[in-house]
Amino acid sequence: MTEYLIRRVLQSVLVIFLITILTFLLIHAAPGGPTQVMLAPGLTPEIFAQQAKNLGLDQPIYIQYFRWIGDLLQGDLGYTFKNHIAISDLLWPRIGNTIILMGAAWLVSLLIAIPWGIYNSTKVYGLSDQTASFISYLGFAMPTFWFGILLQQWLSLKLDWFPLSDMHTRGKEDSIADLFMHLVLPVTVLALGFLASYMKYARASMLEVLDQDYIRTARAKGVKERKVVFRHALRNALIPIITILGLDLPILVGGAALTENVFNWPGMGRWFVEMATAREYSALMAVTIVTAVMVVIGNLLADILYVVVDPRVKLGKQGGKAA
Amino acid sequence: MAKKRKWWSGLLVLSLVGVLFTGCSTNNTAGSSTSAPAATTAPAESTAPEATEAPAADAPVDGGTLVTSSFSDIVNINPLLVNDTASGDVAQFVFAKLYNLDREGNVQAEDWSLAAALPEISEDGLTYTVKLKDTAKWSDGQPVVADDVVYTVETAKNKETGSPLISAFDKVKTVEKIDDHTVKFTMSQIYAPFLYALVQEVVPAHVLKDVKPTEMQKNAFGTDPAKTVTSGPWKWTAWKQGESHTMDADPNYWGTVKPHIAQVIYKIYADQNTEVQAIMKGDTDHISAIPVTQVEAVKANGKIDIIQKPGAQYEYVNFNFDGKNFPDGYGLFQGQKTRQAIAHALNRQGMVDNILKGVGALMNAPFLPDTWADPGDAAVNYDYNAETAKKLLAEDGWVADAKDGILVKDGHRFSFELQYNAGNSRREQVAAVIQQNLKDVGIEVKPKAIDFAAWIDQNVTPGKYQALLLAWSLSTPDPDAESIFSSKYFPPAGQNSGWYKNEKLDKLWVDGYSTVDQAKRKEVYKEVGKEISTDLPYVFLYQYGQAIGTGPRVHWAEEDAPEPSLGYGQFFHAIKWWVTE
Repeated sequence: MTEYLIRRVLQSVLVIFLITILTFLLIHAAPGGPTQVMLAPGLTPEIFAQQAKNLGLDQPIYIQYFRWIGDLLQGDLGYTFKNHIAISDLLWPRIGNTIILMGAAWLVSLLIAIPWGIYNSTKVYGLSDQTASFISYLGFAMPTFWFGILLQQWLSLKLDWFPLSDMHTRGKEDSIADLFMHLVLPVTVLALGFLASYMKYARASMLEVLDQDYIRTARAKGVKERKVVFRHALRNALIPIITILGLDLPILVGGAALTENVFNWPGMGRWFVEMATAREYSALMAVTIVTAVMVVIGNLLADILYVVVDPRVKLGKQGGKAA
Repeated sequence: MAKKRKWWSGLLVLSLVGVLFTGCSTNNTAGSSTSAPAATTAPAESTAPEATEAPAADAPVDGGTLVTSSFSDIVNINPLLVNDTASGDVAQFVFAKLYNLDREGNVQAEDWSLAAALPEISEDGLTYTVKLKDTAKWSDGQPVVADDVVYTVETAKNKETGSPLISAFDKVKTVEKIDDHTVKFTMSQIYAPFLYALVQEVVPAHVLKDVKPTEMQKNAFGTDPAKTVTSGPWKWTAWKQGESHTMDADPNYWGTVKPHIAQVIYKIYADQNTEVQAIMKGDTDHISAIPVTQVEAVKANGKIDIIQKPGAQYEYVNFNFDGKNFPDGYGLFQGQKTRQAIAHALNRQGMVDNILKGVGALMNAPFLPDTWADPGDAAVNYDYNAETAKKLLAEDGWVADAKDGILVKDGHRFSFELQYNAGNSRREQVAAVIQQNLKDVGIEVKPKAIDFAAWIDQNVTPGKYQALLLAWSLSTPDPDAESIFSSKYFPPAGQNSGWYKNEKLDKLWVDGYSTVDQAKRKEVYKEVGKEISTDLPYVFLYQYGQAIGTGPRVHWAEEDAPEPSLGYGQFFHAIKWWVTE
């Protein structure tokens, strides 16, 4: 296990470095650098050139890359070009804000989706199952920003039940209750999206397991249905769900740009779009690194959880004999 | 050199998401006013029961918070580096300018200006002497002195700074301190627009004098509130990146007119739609630009006052005169009659009525209507007339192809690409109208939307396109536009990206700024209007505007109402506004 983990981590570090090189090249290949974006382009090219020089943007790409990677290895994520603000000052608070939002949405959807999906797998095509299907379709089909605006129109502007946007009401930055109220609408929007997919997975996964011979055997032996579902089936059914959850982990820090925009949530998704528009190389690289690390961690966690949930899964030496 | 101008479209690109989000747009038919400036008394135009309550409106009260909004954050509020709208917005609350503009766009030494009186201009028009108020102070208590002005201008002129102000000050030969409160500018030539260059914030020399020009962009002055020493009525106290700016009234502000509003919060939203929602909810009190598709929805809300009239920007179709941009090097727009035909073929009034919903005014020359340089009838007005257009095209030798009806001349089809920036919904609609209008006279237009940054970088700045649809946002009321029309300013040295050359105009632009006598200048610009509207390097489409919205908590006297026709006019005389709870 330890060996496996070390190997995976090393592989991941290599992958992350390759990703940074690729990202750096791709961003630079796009026309329009940070100076063009931040300046009114009606100004003379001399001003662009001088500003680019002052910012070190006139250096060859590989020098810029190595300078950036060198700083990164010392724990320095660099500065924005347009106003020389430390990326770390901008990045971490936004990750925090996004984790609050996405974490809440994820948790809410998980708490609803898994039990509901399991229940529906035992009552296929019942009323509850049909309702869940409908909600799933809604969740998949409805554009989140549109649903967000809809909720804002009704529940905030018309009925005045919830705040319209932002994380806090001005002057109530320390109030948890205030934060909670601000979370309700965006979490509803995001949770609907998560809910739809998790419920489908939970249901499908359970159905597959419930169709297995050993379940039939258990039932034939007269084991109570409740026990069949929760003791025998659930554990196995959880494996694919864990995979999905593991793969979704980066979303928790990556944010959902559209939802964050609609609700003016100062999170990562929105920031990433902003930085991409401004061709802020350092900021984009920082986000790439963080997301890549989360992908790696997500995958690792999923693998580890497999072992915990299902002892049949053996990690370790490759090329071992098939059991 | 060139007067400072901005590509307004940059902002519009940023509004892409906002435009996409207009899920609740309305089919507004309001032909709102394109009326004179005086018509914009604030809380009067639309239904605003709470805002117009007499007692509050009559008696200013001190204190309270004004929350205004934007959909982009600042870059840097250091006046030497300001070049985007958001930075300019914040800077104008916290920095005093040497001079300010009145509602008509005249330069004035106001109570809140650093200068004590209008500059003394020498008889030969070559020296400007500016007297500073001896009461003006920086927020750290230091006096604002001549050294600050000298430092600001010299640093702006220094190429190493990379300051966008360089074009405003590069005709200054020397700037000298006469005494602590007197500065003398000596020009290298007579340059009338220089008066507007003095409508400019100044930076504190005692704070910045040791900063190398090349390090200015990286300096914390302008990006860190704690390190930004200011001179205006409010101090910049906090900036939460991407979220908000806080500006508190400076208790030691030197002006005799003190701000009523104790705190200004400048909130940043992700897009215009969220901004509009926020003012409707009452989360904010002021919005500088309500998208035209949402104006009716905001009006229906009943609590928001809307000031709607054309602003300091105009849209145009720019022809490219460099044959290299066309197949076989055959420039399609060489014929004057051809260009005139295109002007006749376009339904400009229809664009104003249907796309701008009436908030716009036709233009025939690069001077805003109702300003002193507006040439009026001296400029040729091209009415919408497809028949005239066809006639002119025929006179210029274009013949309809038997197969598809597209015009052909010397074996070349009249088919061109019209570029504009992706995400600008107004421009998308206008491009579609142009395509249809020109199809009606036998010209094929292929509209092409390109990402803004890429477009500017690869097409506009180097002058590589066939025709483009774009706008100018005029940051000073001066009519000089040499930098975009004179052949002195071909790419990459300047902004005449269509490679337009007209020797008569080249000379007229110089005549226009080579006298400080406004009556003489007026005559020159009349001639410019005549020549440019006849020769048509651009088809001038229209002046357009943005709707300013204010919530019921904000009040001002009539003479202090926002003025959309001025750059930053959305906060015109904000020092005299007040808010009620």
